[in-house]
Amino acid sequence: MILSRTYRILIVMLLALALPGASSFCAHAEDDAVTSAAIQPVSPVQTDSVSAHTGLEMPSDSAARADAAPMVAGIAPEAEPFNPKKMVMEHLADSYDWHITTFKGRHISIPLPVIVKSSTGWHVFMSNRITGGGTYKGLYIAKEGSHEGKIVEDVDGDQRRPIDISLTKTACGILVVCAIMLVLFLTAARAYKKRNEVDYCPKGLAGLLEWLIDSILDSVIKPCVGENYLKFAPYLLTAFFFIFCSNLLGLVPFFPGGANITGNIAVTLVLAVATFLAVNLFGTKEYYKEIFWPDVPVFLKAIPLMPVIEFIGIFTKPFALMMRLFANIMAGHSIILSISCIIFATAHLGAAVNGSMTAISVLFMVFMNCLELLVAFLQAYVFTMLSSVFIGLAQVKHEE
Amino acid sequence: MGLLTPSGGLLFWMTLAFAVVFLILAKFAFPIILGSVTKRKEFIDSSLDAAKVAEQKVADLQLQSEQIIADAEKEKVAILKEAATSRDRIVADASVQAQQEASRIIAEGRRQAEAEKEAILANARGEVAMLAVQMATKILRGNLSASEAQQALQENLADEIRES
Amino acid sequence: MELSSVAAVLSAALAVFAAAFGISKIGKAAMEAISRQPESAGNIRTSMIIVAALIEGVALFAVVICFMAL
Repeated sequence: MILSRTYRILIVMLLALALPGASSFCAHAEDDAVTSAAIQPVSPVQTDSVSAHTGLEMPSDSAARADAAPMVAGIAPEAEPFNPKKMVMEHLADSYDWHITTFKGRHISIPLPVIVKSSTGWHVFMSNRITGGGTYKGLYIAKEGSHEGKIVEDVDGDQRRPIDISLTKTACGILVVCAIMLVLFLTAARAYKKRNEVDYCPKGLAGLLEWLIDSILDSVIKPCVGENYLKFAPYLLTAFFFIFCSNLLGLVPFFPGGANITGNIAVTLVLAVATFLAVNLFGTKEYYKEIFWPDVPVFLKAIPLMPVIEFIGIFTKPFALMMRLFANIMAGHSIILSISCIIFATAHLGAAVNGSMTAISVLFMVFMNCLELLVAFLQAYVFTMLSSVFIGLAQVKHEE
Repeated sequence: MGLLTPSGGLLFWMTLAFAVVFLILAKFAFPIILGSVTKRKEFIDSSLDAAKVAEQKVADLQLQSEQIIADAEKEKVAILKEAATSRDRIVADASVQAQQEASRIIAEGRRQAEAEKEAILANARGEVAMLAVQMATKILRGNLSASEAQQALQENLADEIRES
Repeated sequence: MELSSVAAVLSAALAVFAAAFGISKIGKAAMEAISRQPESAGNIRTSMIIVAALIEGVALFAVVICFMAL
């Protein structure tokens, strides 16, 4: 009524972020109080029942895996003191099923296909056969050790990892992001094909994407790459939108969002390798000459000082790209998760402390989510800008 | 170190997905979008250039038209002046002519008046002569027996007639 | 109370301090530049954000290592 439309929409969105977590938490609290083996009258909510505001995976899964006893999938385990570190680590790591929520003690997760080549050949099956702690054809998920949380098999008495190309949660997230990107851009491109390009001013989706593409093209790609920027623009734009969409999707607590895509080192490694290839495969001769035989005094060239530094520089630049993106997104997710853990960690200290800490936590989480929105765009922007700068530096022409 | 070691399966899927998306978009989506954007930008640039040239032309044309108007003004002034002088001249001529005509008419009128006066005078002399003759006749008739007084009167009359 | 946890916490604090110091210098320079020439505020703001992101990247690298050691 008093608040304008924008503020109302914003508040509804933030509550939508908060409510699933709150409801799951309530359901879990009640359920764990009932099923806790050791009933402690002082602390009815002393469990590791968490579904964070990001609505990601359930640590009860890990508790289930931690218990060696085979579990009927879905019933919450015995009470354990709440372990924030474990919860955060679980949400950041990969998993073989996509946990959506926990409703009245039942874990609702989507089992994902496991594709493994073990010593007995290729196996493809749904992960619900082994996420409860079961074994299938000699494969099971390791509970501890160096391969904790991953599929292993016992070969010659020790645990070994088979060749594992399962569609884990992060891989499914990647596929979701790729599908979204394809739909968006192919729809926009179709809008241009049908019409006279010169007179047509696109509206709607094509207009929005054109505005974004144009601003990235004009502010980042054209000034940094230089002359033949149109040759590299497709790769740079793909990278920008992939990172931007993955970051944004990682902030959404519901399925299909919530997967920690760019916070995974493998994903950023591939992106950095792609930039490395784009820079070095298309580098001019002058670029390589400047690396291995730069225009400096001989005493820096002869003991190969400058060439070695430059050669190492070829690898450190994409490495920095990889680490920057990975660390930023991972840190952002873990901060949000840690703040939400404050609620559950202070749960056993009584209602007053818990209530106030909940309020503070929600406020801080709102702020962190807004900051993460900025970081989502900024990291994509910085990645694209640095890639274009590196590509532009490699396109150096011979100066007379 | 768990978070820092990339897992092989994920590397495979990420490479595959990113390569497929990149190839599809680079072939089907981005060339169209980027082509349209650059074409529109070129069109806008060329339109701006053409607009600038057109503006220049308009300015030139404006200058030219102003020039023509200025010339026309000058000519108008000259024509007006010429018209004024010729009007004056015509008026002067006309007045001179009118004067001449007037004087001629006046002269003519005077001559006519003179002629008429002469005619009237002649007529009057004729009448007078007739009257005198009649008078003389009457006198002669009446007074033939008149003496020298009458003769003297006749001679006086004749002298007076001759003198007049 | 393992030594690794202590080391992790201390290095995280050090990394945060270094990042805050670097970004504050950037912010100070940006404020002064904007006060000198208000019409280029947009350009300066964009450059400031980009440089802050680069500094933060390095600091978060240290944070990630601390995470490992925690």
